[in-house]
Amino acid sequence: MKILKLPKEKLDLFASVVQQFGELHAPVEQDGKFVFRRLTRWSDARLEYDRTLLPPKKYFLPPRETMFRYRPGEGFLPNTEGLDQRLILFGVHACDVYALNILDRVFAGKFPDPYYQARRKNIGIIGIDCTPDKHCFCRSMRADFVDHGFDLFFYDTGDYYQVLVGTALGDDMVLATGSVFEPEEAADIDDYKRRSWNKRRSFQLDVEIRDLPEIFEMEYQSEIWDDLGGRCLSCGSCSMVCPTCYCYDVVDDVELGSRGGNRTRAWDSCLFANHALVASGENFRGPRASRIKFRFYHKQRGFVAEYGRPSCVGCGRCITACPVSIDVVQVIDRLRRVQDVASR
Amino acid sequence: MGKPTVGIFGLTGCAGDQLVILNCEDQLLDLVALIDIRDFLMASSENRTDCPLDVALVEGAVLTNRDAERLRAIRQRSNLLVALGTCAVWGGVAALDRGADRSQLLEEVYGEAGHGYDSSHAQALREIVRVDLNITGCPIEKEHFLAAIAALLNGDTPVYPSYPVCTECRMQENNCLLMERGLPCCGPVTAAGCGARCPDLRVPCIGCRGPMADANPVSLLEVLEQKGFDRRQAAARLRTFAPEGVA
Amino acid sequence: MLLADEVATHHPVLSDNPYQPHMARIVRIYKMVENNHLFTLRFLEDRLAHSFRHLPGQFIMLSVPGVGEMPISISSSPSRPEVLELCVRRVGRVTNALYRLKTNDVVGVRGPYGNGYPMQEIMGNDILLAAGGLGMAPLRSLLWYALDHRDRFNNITLMYGAKRPEDMLFREELTALVDRTDINCLLTVDADPGGTWKNHVGLLPTLFDHAKIDPLHSYAAVCGPPVVYKFILQRLLDLGFPKNHILMSLERRMKCGVGKCGHCSIGYKYTCLQGPIFTYWDAINLPEMI
Repeated sequence: MKILKLPKEKLDLFASVVQQFGELHAPVEQDGKFVFRRLTRWSDARLEYDRTLLPPKKYFLPPRETMFRYRPGEGFLPNTEGLDQRLILFGVHACDVYALNILDRVFAGKFPDPYYQARRKNIGIIGIDCTPDKHCFCRSMRADFVDHGFDLFFYDTGDYYQVLVGTALGDDMVLATGSVFEPEEAADIDDYKRRSWNKRRSFQLDVEIRDLPEIFEMEYQSEIWDDLGGRCLSCGSCSMVCPTCYCYDVVDDVELGSRGGNRTRAWDSCLFANHALVASGENFRGPRASRIKFRFYHKQRGFVAEYGRPSCVGCGRCITACPVSIDVVQVIDRLRRVQDVASR
Repeated sequence: MGKPTVGIFGLTGCAGDQLVILNCEDQLLDLVALIDIRDFLMASSENRTDCPLDVALVEGAVLTNRDAERLRAIRQRSNLLVALGTCAVWGGVAALDRGADRSQLLEEVYGEAGHGYDSSHAQALREIVRVDLNITGCPIEKEHFLAAIAALLNGDTPVYPSYPVCTECRMQENNCLLMERGLPCCGPVTAAGCGARCPDLRVPCIGCRGPMADANPVSLLEVLEQKGFDRRQAAARLRTFAPEGVA
Repeated sequence: MLLADEVATHHPVLSDNPYQPHMARIVRIYKMVENNHLFTLRFLEDRLAHSFRHLPGQFIMLSVPGVGEMPISISSSPSRPEVLELCVRRVGRVTNALYRLKTNDVVGVRGPYGNGYPMQEIMGNDILLAAGGLGMAPLRSLLWYALDHRDRFNNITLMYGAKRPEDMLFREELTALVDRTDINCLLTVDADPGGTWKNHVGLLPTLFDHAKIDPLHSYAAVCGPPVVYKFILQRLLDLGFPKNHILMSLERRMKCGVGKCGHCSIGYKYTCLQGPIFTYWDAINLPEMI
């Protein structure tokens, strides 16, 4: 991969140039937390942030999206509004890029989702390295480093950013900025390694994900699920903030005085009581405990069977968003402990 | 086929939901072109009080025998009955303490004269008659009313969110008032549909839309208790708009 | 809002959109059983009507404009193309809306989706179709496919039970099969209060007494309410059917039909992609299956 370096004082210059590639969005502060938002000025950007309230998912699979407009006599007309808009997301963490790479697989396959794909094509991603906080466990989920899914990726090595060039678009951004990007030298590699080493050591959480499929297989009947079901509020917060939760609901509405209307999809959650409810009234996951169990199984077990890895990237958002402190790291630890018959 | 006939009524309540209908200024002309409003005391002085109705929209809770009689009469003359607003759907604020001694309350408020008043504990419409559609909210959302009319005109019923306010609040990327600021937010147990209007303005949810179908108030109460709130007061807060808000 | 005619036609959302419903006309509504009507649809576009191909056991997503979309299994056989027949039970909001429509009204259709029955595997073997009540709807596609390609299959047995004669789906066409020699068509009703029923009377499992079954060279397609699964599956196992030769058609909530929306997932599988036809072996190995 092409690696360059950018002196930190040239970042402003780069940011101003990169706007010609799309509307610039970056994390900004909101009451002590961070959200990705359109920048009105570059100085609003906060590149050193813990995590945004919502992941970049919101740009690719918006919370609500009109898919079709229905008109009698014309049928269902696809809505393409906003799909061709070019955006640049500046400052995406590795875990969130990884999450997009996971969503890429879900929204591809035999039936690619053209809405998602169009946005993925038109939204540039400039990643940035980060410092883990007490809820981060991306390293455990092997999502602390990404080798694709971004156009550029910035690593802070003190006076410089080391910049990984991921795509032709990223390369164009570099070229458009001119000679401020410098070639990398051997000493820079050492800087990078040092930085990487320090980051790895600064993780406060470590989740052992080896054997997870086996553990989940054995603990399907565990009373842990009933305990979690008793606490869960079914508020959907964990699903909304999760960078890899992609479930959606589809609703049709009619406009007053017409038979025309819209078909809209909106984020959904497997924790909602009607997620597996069919028209005849049968609910395949009625009890709250079975719903929260499903959420964990789908992420940590089902995805492994389907895609070879858990869909969780360890961003820690669900931990910070759960009003009743259901903590995925603790749940996995508890499951592991009840598994550990030998040490009892 | 003629236009569907509609009646809009208020029992004991603040008339706020009827006001929402009147505030649909941009759609009022469309509305009256599509439906024939026969009986709407708040908006018209010429009402047909006995004709059969295709749809009756009823606001307010049942707090008197007179309310109950009116409601039964409305039900009798209507094909579909829609409960309009949290009072009609859940009992509302008036149902805050249904266990209270009514005659004692009447005396406290009205003195000796209180004994003669027609007054009973607040009931939701569905406790008296069959209700075909509930549009909750304090007041209702204008969009929900219009969606209901649009759907009913097609012989259909509208779909309202069955998830809680939290879901909408998170979709809007608000900071969590409960977790980050320790405020007693009812968002996790309250039916969504308002677009998390209050938390969006950094005001904690007071549960004015009533509980969502799948609410887990017991768990929320434990959280509130851990945050230092008195359990009884917290429970009363969750119950403000619906006696069933806390099991 | 940009609409179809305002943007380049090569846009994937316009040209290659798996969620795009295609309009189809209701050409016939046949009231088979109270609240179980058979809707015959034909795509407005002739090209689609000619080119639509499905496998027995697959389903479509049916849109009632302005109301919603739902999965419906295809009851017609691929061997009888040009139209789609859907046996729809009136049970929820969207089906209620469908029942308000009349002949010549239009609906949206996209698909076919799902795996369908493993026809390559089944061919050359005996087929046992066992249905109870409304379970005949998805099996009917397989039935006619087998009868229309009779030489590709060995013995064909249909066992179908309903509560009363008037509850039997496809009653006329199925009773007409009873006298045919190329199928052992066994029909039963729990009770015949009218006294007009000329076939078996008794519970569905009693039909096993009249069927010749060679379990090791057979595939069984079973569909029906839970009570049917309960009794039929046990009988099949007792007869020595391998669990992966017993095929079941499952119903789940679906919003997309193409493996995205997440609603139909069972354990690690999507009913819309890996199903809706599952073997009994799948069923006992996946959590929440039945």
